[in-house]
Amino acid sequence: MRKNYFAKRDVCIVAYGETKLDRVSGKTVYELAAAVAAELFKRTGLKPADIDGLALSTPFSETSNPFYSTFMSDYLGLSPRWSQISDIGGASATGNVARATLALQNGVCDVAMLIGADAPNTRNRVDYGGYRGEFWLPTGLQGPPGAFGLLMNRYAKDHTLDYRGLGALAVAQRKGAVRNPLAYERFRQEITIEDYLNSRLVSTPLRLLDSVMYCDGANGVLMMTTEVAKRRGLEKRIYPIAYAELTNFKAAEQTPDILETGFSVVGPEVLAMAGMTTADIQQFHPYDDFLFAVMLQLEQIGFCKRGEGSQFLRDTDLSPTGRLPINTGGGQIGAGQPGLAGGGLNLVEAVRQLMGEAGERQVPNPRNAMVTGIGVIPYGRNWCSSSAMILTN
Amino acid sequence: MAETPARKPLPRPLPTPCHTTKPFWEAARKGKLALQYDPLAKRYQFWPRPISVVTGQQNLEWRIVSGLGRVYSYTITHVPTAGFEGKTPYIVALIELDEGVRMIANMINVRPEGMNIGMRVKVDFEKLSDEINFFAFEPTE
Repeated sequence: MRKNYFAKRDVCIVAYGETKLDRVSGKTVYELAAAVAAELFKRTGLKPADIDGLALSTPFSETSNPFYSTFMSDYLGLSPRWSQISDIGGASATGNVARATLALQNGVCDVAMLIGADAPNTRNRVDYGGYRGEFWLPTGLQGPPGAFGLLMNRYAKDHTLDYRGLGALAVAQRKGAVRNPLAYERFRQEITIEDYLNSRLVSTPLRLLDSVMYCDGANGVLMMTTEVAKRRGLEKRIYPIAYAELTNFKAAEQTPDILETGFSVVGPEVLAMAGMTTADIQQFHPYDDFLFAVMLQLEQIGFCKRGEGSQFLRDTDLSPTGRLPINTGGGQIGAGQPGLAGGGLNLVEAVRQLMGEAGERQVPNPRNAMVTGIGVIPYGRNWCSSSAMILTN
Repeated sequence: MAETPARKPLPRPLPTPCHTTKPFWEAARKGKLALQYDPLAKRYQFWPRPISVVTGQQNLEWRIVSGLGRVYSYTITHVPTAGFEGKTPYIVALIELDEGVRMIANMINVRPEGMNIGMRVKVDFEKLSDEINFFAFEPTE
């Protein structure tokens, strides 16, 4: 097990910010990010001159710019001594919290701004190249939904995949979106399990309501050392207490079990680091590009047994007052996915909950949360990057 | 009655061979499936890379393989990608070759109802251009 460099709680999150999710907003990433930055400044009383660290995630809408973080810091009036850009997809948000922690702990910077912003509906500059253009695109595999169709069919061969369980998760997350004023407005209505079961097939057995939809949006957090936060009188402090990340699980294996994900490693590892079991996790904010991805995480992190994920989803109250609150603001499937800033949506909801600011969807007596991240789909497997973080107040 | 000219469908995207993959596409042009073989690790690797993922050496060889394998998983595509408009529903499978690698490929000469995980398949090639034959698989029966 790796060293847990969060054990001392000497670094904390002191503020969060988030824009409303919208489709084809016509906004640029800089406009979306600036709205989040302004929220962070307003909340903490800080100004651009106070920020000396900046961490971003690569966005679909600006991948053509190799100097994206430099442009962003310029737009925001920052002169960072530490700049970080993470390209591990949805794992970038928690990944940046971890990377900022190292920088803060070592005095490379004193106040770090972490932002995810993306406008994939308004402008999408992605061209993966490499093996994807050569060996994947010519086959017509329907992107991530097609890849997940392959996963789900393989799972269904050896296990019971109860679609009503996935439907129960879809229903629960939409309920969260209804209670989330920042969710994409069109999603702010409840659905039924029948709506899920009857939604349009994309790539069997995956349906439209199995997956996220791109929106434009941004989110972010502000981090500093606990000592500086106390000195500045910032009383609401959220501490990351454990983190683990793994990219390209079993990269060298040619015929692995494609259902075995990096979470089979980082899930148990992050719990062991925190001295906890899944029974101690009060609320779960998993990266939810697909309902099936949430189900696999539940199994492989250990919230339920392998092969019993869909049953667990059917049997468990996933609401804010239930046995295991999941993605209380709707998650990305319920609220919308702000492109590659999506991982920050799950993270910010966890922070909001732990600060007791979740309003009508507040988990009572919040004390800890697990947040996960997933990054990009590889050739013929599940996903490349898996990250898991435990936070506490 | 006026005829509406059909919108010309986009062609299937073509792979862009690179230095490493040239032998793969040369074999495909001849109707053969070639894979990289690691002489030290004594195993094949796919997709083709400029380095062995086991030894880290750049001594990979190309070998013509049987083209035989089994369906590890499959999916029926209903929402087409670029170049596949008008072809739905079409089958995309993850094939596990007898040589111990996996390939994403179309299934041809089989209907969606005829698919099952574990069925035996063999490679075939579809001509996409003068330079590119692209692999696909069909049932062995």
